Amino acid sequence: MTKPDISRNASRKLTLRGAAALRKRKVRGAAALLAASASIVLSTAAAQPLQEEGQAILKDRKIGYALTHKYWAVYETEGAKTECPQGFNDGPREQFKKLYGDGKKRSIVEAQLKREGEQWHPTTEPESFKFLEAQGNTSYGLNLDGRIGPEDFLSPEGEKGIDNQLYRVIGCIGHYRTMGTINHFENLFMRSYDDARIVIELTEVDDLKNDDAVVVTTYRGSDGLLQDATGEGFIPGGTQRIDLRWGKEYVSQLKGKIVDGVLTTEPADRVMLPWGVTFGTSGHHIFRGFQLSLKLDPQAAEGLMAGYVDVKAFNHHLNTSWSTHHHSYGQLSSPSQYKAMMRLADGYPDPKTGKNTAISSAVRVKFTQVYVRQPEQRELVSKK
Amino acid sequence: MNSSLRKALLGSATAALTTLLLAGCAGKNEPENPGTPPRVRVITTEQYLNTIENVFGSSVNMDMKFPPLRRVDGLLANGAALAGVTSGKIETFQRAASSIAGQVVSPERRSYLIPCTPASETKPDAECAKQFFSQTGRLLHRRALTDEELSSYVTAANQAADRLQDFYAGIELVLESMLISPEVLFIIETTEGDVDDQGRRRLDALSLASRLSFFLWNAGPDDMVLKAAESGELNTERGLKRVVESMIASPRLEDGMRAFFDDMLGFDDFDSLSKDPLVYPFFTGATATDAREQTLRTIIDHLIVDQKDYRDLFVTRETFMSPALAPLYQIPASRGWTEYEFPEGSPRQGLLTQISFVALRSHPGRSSPTLRGKALREHLLCQIVPPPPPNVDFGKLENPDAHYKTQRERVAVHLEDPACAGCHKITDPMGLALESFDGAGRFRTTENGATIDTSGDLDGVPFDDVIGLGQALRDNPSLPSCLVDRLYSYGSGGAAKPTDRPLMKYFTAEFAESGYKLPDLLRTIALSEAFQHVTPAKKSGPSKAHEPTEEIVIDEQLPATTTVDAAGAAQETKQTVASIAKAR
Repeated sequence: MTKPDISRNASRKLTLRGAAALRKRKVRGAAALLAASASIVLSTAAAQPLQEEGQAILKDRKIGYALTHKYWAVYETEGAKTECPQGFNDGPREQFKKLYGDGKKRSIVEAQLKREGEQWHPTTEPESFKFLEAQGNTSYGLNLDGRIGPEDFLSPEGEKGIDNQLYRVIGCIGHYRTMGTINHFENLFMRSYDDARIVIELTEVDDLKNDDAVVVTTYRGSDGLLQDATGEGFIPGGTQRIDLRWGKEYVSQLKGKIVDGVLTTEPADRVMLPWGVTFGTSGHHIFRGFQLSLKLDPQAAEGLMAGYVDVKAFNHHLNTSWSTHHHSYGQLSSPSQYKAMMRLADGYPDPKTGKNTAISSAVRVKFTQVYVRQPEQRELVSKK
Repeated sequence: MNSSLRKALLGSATAALTTLLLAGCAGKNEPENPGTPPRVRVITTEQYLNTIENVFGSSVNMDMKFPPLRRVDGLLANGAALAGVTSGKIETFQRAASSIAGQVVSPERRSYLIPCTPASETKPDAECAKQFFSQTGRLLHRRALTDEELSSYVTAANQAADRLQDFYAGIELVLESMLISPEVLFIIETTEGDVDDQGRRRLDALSLASRLSFFLWNAGPDDMVLKAAESGELNTERGLKRVVESMIASPRLEDGMRAFFDDMLGFDDFDSLSKDPLVYPFFTGATATDAREQTLRTIIDHLIVDQKDYRDLFVTRETFMSPALAPLYQIPASRGWTEYEFPEGSPRQGLLTQISFVALRSHPGRSSPTLRGKALREHLLCQIVPPPPPNVDFGKLENPDAHYKTQRERVAVHLEDPACAGCHKITDPMGLALESFDGAGRFRTTENGATIDTSGDLDGVPFDDVIGLGQALRDNPSLPSCLVDRLYSYGSGGAAKPTDRPLMKYFTAEFAESGYKLPDLLRTIALSEAFQHVTPAKKSGPSKAHEPTEEIVIDEQLPATTTVDAAGAAQETKQTVASIAKAR
């Protein structure tokens, strides 16, 4: 007989007999009575219909989901001909070559460190490079301001008033497109690191198809995702323990409704989500005017989350989460992106200058169903 | 001491004494039985690992697996007495031995695994080597080393240390050779005349110690058991009882019984289990590992921790849950393994409804009433379902008519063909009740939109669903008698013979008397006369000699000459193994 190491180790750590001894003795006295009643139950159980497993998904009018996929929403056409007719933007290496590739001798301070400084202390001053904004009037996203303006997009489904100016900025940066480095690694690291676990829980749900009033709460979970046997999907039905020790700032409540299986939420002023990426860095993003639009089913949820992101915070997250060589792989110039974001920012004006500080954005997301487990309320010993 | 406490203590003492007396009387009705043949068995991977852990502790890391044994009469353990040892297998043994020896003498472990410090690390130290090999060799050989053997090991260690100028390197080399010694790798039973019953032979005390230890602990005997054997205590009725009670009370019983049930339930099939990831994407490697573990934990908790009725394992709602399994049961889970009880009315009642049974006994992409029914018959009721006839046409099953929506409709094909119907009538009616679970073990009530009919019968007991099946199985008289049969075979190293029937009936009756409690059954078997006695071994004449081969073939029964002198056979085997190892 063989048994895998995992079970071997498990059995070594704690013999069942030892661990259970105390627990079992406590209930020994009632055992006879229970045994008697069990035999009655057993004799009648067969006559009753078996319970369906899985009904518990909406138990207590709740259902939870954990985020498994997230992509900054970029509407892509074949060969990028429509949205990027002039091709993609340059990255750090191409820009460096254009700036300093003339053969002149320069010190590190005049070249590398100068460029480094511009990355960490970006300005809105014009630069010599031409920034290629995404073209066209179609984009994924949500109508965040409730209006239909001249700069707004049309959704692929034909909805007007879509606010996603971030798409104009990132649509022609290779990093953010399908197979781009950020697309790939943001998801890889989100799945790898439990402290980047984004969980939502719907409560007060009467019907997952139509319900005119539900509550959505965002959390940071603390458990791994369960990858399926194909290696590409995730198994619904996992459990996520909510982090209320260090993750209270990720808790936000939204009001919502479900119509024909699609959840939409009212804008929430400020929602903070864990967004750690490379090697466990503990980054986050804050969305203003945050909204969700998700198609729900008992196993998964898919759709958009959208809101305004603060430009400076977004840029800081980019620079602290990704090294310049990562930027280079996806031809992402942080200073150029910053200037474009400030130029196209469309929300939350600075009270003093009147200049917009945030830019509308959208993220395409997929969630898998999880059971949400709130931390046990433990009374402090000192208070007993 | 107050009077109530005194009363309580007196009461429990009386109860304990009564139990002891009853236990003492338990063997009085044992039918006469000649016993079992003395056997030579190759040590299994788990037995080796458990033994090494018991000798050197858990810090010695072993990632190794010996080649699988052949299942004989329902148990892999029986195959250990019929195993061939190939040169490839010897290589595996040697790799393991080399790794273990290296770890034992490693600088971070030598201080607590070697009981002495040499006068100089760069020179031989005969006294220290002697101390180490006498202690370690006794536990590995399951007997004290003779002076000659010990001297030989110490001399070899000294020579190696001298040439390598490293005391620990000498210990390492000789320990490696000891770990591949045939007397370590093979469990060799030797016998002696029974002084209390002239004319009969019994296992000698050291062989009985090993038989008991591998039976109850799946590991070699520890110091306590060896001491009892060496002192002659094990040859006395009272001494044997004391040792058996200690072994049953030991936490190592869990290891032993995990090994037994893993074998009895055919869980080695998990090693090759695969599911079609496109059909069952939620069934992963972690699911399979934890499904096996869940059932073993359930069994150990039920039978050893709680000491409950064996039959109730097939109706119990109590189990253990892990995060990897919970999604298939569609319930939340806590981190790690936790106790879990399915709610009343749940379809999950008993071992048959656990993922380990329904997923293991299915095809990669679909459920199988036949495989499930067959497994139930063979593993739990000790019945043999014949293999399908060679000319059977599987086309109707593998390319089913889409008109047939459920397995019940599809397997009805079996019953149309008289060549198939005979066997399928004994597997499918109970297998179809388990159609409540798909091929990965998830509960369902419909298949392809059609409601699943889970009714059936087991040996004339009708039921409506899987809970009814569990109850019918629980009440089936073959269920406990099968366990008895398998346990006795497992402990003695070979299947019970038809002439053992009265003995099996006696064990089963005792088992029933005890309320089907496993520890009581283990005690009854371990203390039985049959377990200790041996039949005369068959003589193997020259005509039966094996052709020269690369394999060492171990007969189920030792030649008559080795019955009384296994050392000679062992030495011969040792030389053969050594010569093969040397040739390579």
